[in-house]
Amino acid sequence: MSNKKPEPANLQTQLKQLDDLLTWFERDDFDVEAALAKYDEGMKLVSAIEDRLQLVENKVEVLKKRFDQGT
Amino acid sequence: MENTPLSVSAASALVNQTLEYAFPVLLVEGEINSFKINRDKYVFFDVKDDEASLGCFMTVWQLRMPLEDGMKVQVVATPKLTAWGKFSLTVREVRPIGEGSIKRSSELLRTKLEKEGLFSEERKKSLPKLPRSIGLIASAESAGYVDFLTILGSRWGGMEITVANVQVQGVGAAEQIINAIEYFNHLDVKPELLVMVRGGGSADDLAVFNDEPLVRAVALSSLPILTGIGHEIDTSLVDLVADVRAATPSNAAERLVPDKREILRHVEVSSIRLAEILERQTVKIAEKVVLFKERGLRRLALRLQQSKHEFAYRTQLLEGLNPSAILGRGYAILRAVDGTALGPKQVGAIRIGDSLQIELKTHILSVGVKNVEQKT
Repeated sequence: MSNKKPEPANLQTQLKQLDDLLTWFERDDFDVEAALAKYDEGMKLVSAIEDRLQLVENKVEVLKKRFDQGT
Repeated sequence: MENTPLSVSAASALVNQTLEYAFPVLLVEGEINSFKINRDKYVFFDVKDDEASLGCFMTVWQLRMPLEDGMKVQVVATPKLTAWGKFSLTVREVRPIGEGSIKRSSELLRTKLEKEGLFSEERKKSLPKLPRSIGLIASAESAGYVDFLTILGSRWGGMEITVANVQVQGVGAAEQIINAIEYFNHLDVKPELLVMVRGGGSADDLAVFNDEPLVRAVALSSLPILTGIGHEIDTSLVDLVADVRAATPSNAAERLVPDKREILRHVEVSSIRLAEILERQTVKIAEKVVLFKERGLRRLALRLQQSKHEFAYRTQLLEGLNPSAILGRGYAILRAVDGTALGPKQVGAIRIGDSLQIELKTHILSVGVKNVEQKT
């Protein structure tokens, strides 16, 4: 059992950031310099999100403990 | 006759000894009659069929589900002759059987627990959004268990699932599930939530989920509990008291985690949109450059020209990553039968005989693996 702080909170944030970025771009008359920086940021987000989602399988452990005698 | 006469108590004891020897335990099925509880402690009722009737006795703490006259029940009991000569079955366990009786019993219990506020929305805890560790309470041989884990695995990865393998029907099941809940709740490092699943079954099969001590254990769990029991239409009392109720084990997996395939698709679509926007911008910039040149604003025109190149470069990059563009250039996407794309990391697990899907620009092929050879 893991007691690490759940990293998926970042995934939610990353997805939100990607959506916000798109909204920014949709304004259509954006500043060109700013756009380049934002674009690079967007590409990094896409990569990071895809990496996180290609994650390994789930780890399943069936306890050997029997539950028909009191804990 | 040389028989020494027995005292009454001795005769009674002898009969009881014989009964104990011959019938240590009896399993009897019949209809309840004359059910009553004395002094809030002692439960008396008869169990009968058309021709005979036997008295039963137990304590109120052994009652796991409400009973009343007319219900069909199964009784596990030891026959006894009481000191006053009454023949009675000392009940170890009793449970309603048959859809009608089970339904009636759970209705009675439902009313009682509702009055106590056990089903109120305020009591319910919300589930963690993207859990990393899960305690699963299920029968590891059941279809419900397999369904839950399969759907979970195709939707999301990276989770640790610890399984308490328990009986999910019949005598003893309720106690096992209670023990499992308490086990997880008292670990030093607890899972983020508990999931309880079991596949469909008859009313008798699912009766354990209306067991009063179990329902209370679910209510008292400090870890949130998600249930996925039976089919869509089966709603047990454990479902009502759980923090989140899913219709089935598969539905429980759907309620618990998002589908990574959908998220990936959304990200794909987003990057396509981004590429389109940039393309539009490149055109606009080109127009501006012409304008600036016309007005003799050479330096501005030059700077804009540079930006246009950078944009075009990035658009190309994006399109390069865009799967449809990749397909357009003749490459293919390899997928498992369930549609999951197989990247370099997953290719190592492919075996001869596996079925795969090949997505081309215009077609999708279903193929079988004839040979696997690793390049040096």
